[in-house]
Amino acid sequence: MNKKLNSVVVSVERILLTMLLALVIGAICILCIKQNPLEAYAALFRGAFHGKLQVGNTLASFTPLLLTSCAFIIGAKAGAFNVGVEGEVFLGGITAAYIGINWTFLPGPLLLIACFAGAILVGALWAYIPGALKAYFNVSEVCVTILMNSVAVYITSYLVNGPMSAGVANAQSKPVNVTLPQFMPPSSVNTGLFIAVVVVLLVIFMLYKMRFGFKIRVVGTNPQFAEYAGINPRTIFIQSMMMSGAIGGLAGCIEILGVHGYFLDNFAYNLGTNGMLAALIVKSNIIFAPFVSFFLAILHSGAMGMQQATGVPKSIVDTITAIFIIIATMETLFQPKTGYAWKWLSKKHTTVEEAVK
Amino acid sequence: MNWSSIINTSLIYATFRSATPIIYAALCAAITQQADILNIGTEGIMLTGAFFAVAVSYMTHSWILGVIVAMVAGLVISMIMAVGHIKFKADICAIGMGINLFAIAITKFLLNSVLGKRGTFSEPGIIPIPRVHIKAFDSIGILNDVFNNWAVTEWFVIILVLVVWFLFYKTRWGLHLRAVGQFPMAAQTAGINVSAMKYEAIAISGLIGGLAGAHLSLGYSALFTENMTNSRGFMGVAAMFFGNADPVWTSVGCLVFGLADSVGNRLQAHGLPSQLVLLMPYVVTVVVLAVSMASKVFTGQRRKSSLTAISA
Repeated sequence: MNKKLNSVVVSVERILLTMLLALVIGAICILCIKQNPLEAYAALFRGAFHGKLQVGNTLASFTPLLLTSCAFIIGAKAGAFNVGVEGEVFLGGITAAYIGINWTFLPGPLLLIACFAGAILVGALWAYIPGALKAYFNVSEVCVTILMNSVAVYITSYLVNGPMSAGVANAQSKPVNVTLPQFMPPSSVNTGLFIAVVVVLLVIFMLYKMRFGFKIRVVGTNPQFAEYAGINPRTIFIQSMMMSGAIGGLAGCIEILGVHGYFLDNFAYNLGTNGMLAALIVKSNIIFAPFVSFFLAILHSGAMGMQQATGVPKSIVDTITAIFIIIATMETLFQPKTGYAWKWLSKKHTTVEEAVK
Repeated sequence: MNWSSIINTSLIYATFRSATPIIYAALCAAITQQADILNIGTEGIMLTGAFFAVAVSYMTHSWILGVIVAMVAGLVISMIMAVGHIKFKADICAIGMGINLFAIAITKFLLNSVLGKRGTFSEPGIIPIPRVHIKAFDSIGILNDVFNNWAVTEWFVIILVLVVWFLFYKTRWGLHLRAVGQFPMAAQTAGINVSAMKYEAIAISGLIGGLAGAHLSLGYSALFTENMTNSRGFMGVAAMFFGNADPVWTSVGCLVFGLADSVGNRLQAHGLPSQLVLLMPYVVTVVVLAVSMASKVFTGQRRKSSLTAISA
């Protein structure tokens, strides 16, 4: 009767245990370079939450992670391993920047919509390539998306150094003519956060309450069965890849219009990868993904503060997240049939019953 | 444009030179692929090897020690993946990506904390892998252009390709390995220890991956930079798909990518923007991979349809 609750308890415990183990291994690494891990973690936490600026920046780095983890999950639900979100963020960003700079004939709100539409479209089309290659020719989408990430980064780098350059020392474009308002200055958190939350809610609704989402999940679980039931697994696979790409593009658009205001070379370094990490840690459970994304956002926005306050380099944060993911992927490591806490509770319960007897 | 400055005899060595790290990576991926394990972690194994090769060569002034430690480091990293995948049932793509990210992070962390550098580590104290200079070739133009001054590991890769080919197709171990990859249940029935075979395959793959990294940082260059593998591991995996995990055909695929890379480098001298040159090997890899997989699908369909024609 409590099966569902039990499975939730098991998952939450798994995530917490994994998190703890990763932090402990991280602490050992910090000890190895003769620093105090507790001090480092405290500095990290202060760096993420101490003051309005820090809280705002944590929220600002949470926004893209929320979207990119969601993008990865949509692909994963259809059985795709879409590492290409990173590239889609870059291309979405450059498209938004291009439209925001050049289409000045449009009035403000329309220009904003055009930026979003362009970024979403380009992201989706970019993801169509690996999706179609996998669906029709069985080309490993992992390989193709990773290689295409490099292509996307170089394309944007070329554009921002050449045709779209603002002509300043840094490789960046001219400022865009429309931005998303930032509501906690001086930090860069912006209304994109609300857009991201709404998008994630819509995706949850789509996946679990709509026919299309059901089809995606069927294809992801068993493509042969899907075909038998009259669902074309190839089309659904490609569509879910494109949806994943669209959300990646959206994340890039929000970063450009909300955070930077212009296209900066290499602006989205690791945004897609970290979103993928969050998704992998929770095994593509879209309900838990935002929490882990938030945890990763804390780690990343606190890292700089830690580096300044203690002698621990901020690359330790990446090491901890990588260990986190390696442990999290090991299915049977922390996988008791019932959660530890649940076992403990129910054990007490039976003893009480026996006592009554 | 002056074509003779782009296509000439020295292009042969340039192609081979840029292909060698990818060939090592592809062999690393091919061994596990024969046991039906997609080694996404090739990139990470290679990067770890590259770091340890440079660090040890710098500290001990011995390139042999550097190479050995790099191979051991590759073995350790690959064993994490093996235990995760075989014992704890981790999804191979997920743990492979985890290994890659771990390698990027840990090498950066060690670079900052142990070697005290950021970004790039390039010191005169790093002893590179020596180059073989054959005096007899000096006077003969073509031989001098093509065969002289290869790094030891560049000669060794040719031997390794043949050894791995022999191992796969001419030894009992290779037969067992391929049996495990193609039909694990049958292999188990025949008395082969399937998970032991998988561990062995990943271990050897780790050793080769470490060597790939050592060649990249000590043979191909003599420095270490953050994320210096730059997707070469994935190109290796792509070449492995192209060659169906056959070491010889896989190496041919790597040479194609190497050619794209070295022609691109020469075009850069003719004013092509550097970013467009840098993205060329990636595009070529994706296209070659797509075409080879597509042709596989089509020949498969044709075979199937001819079979049905016979049975009907």
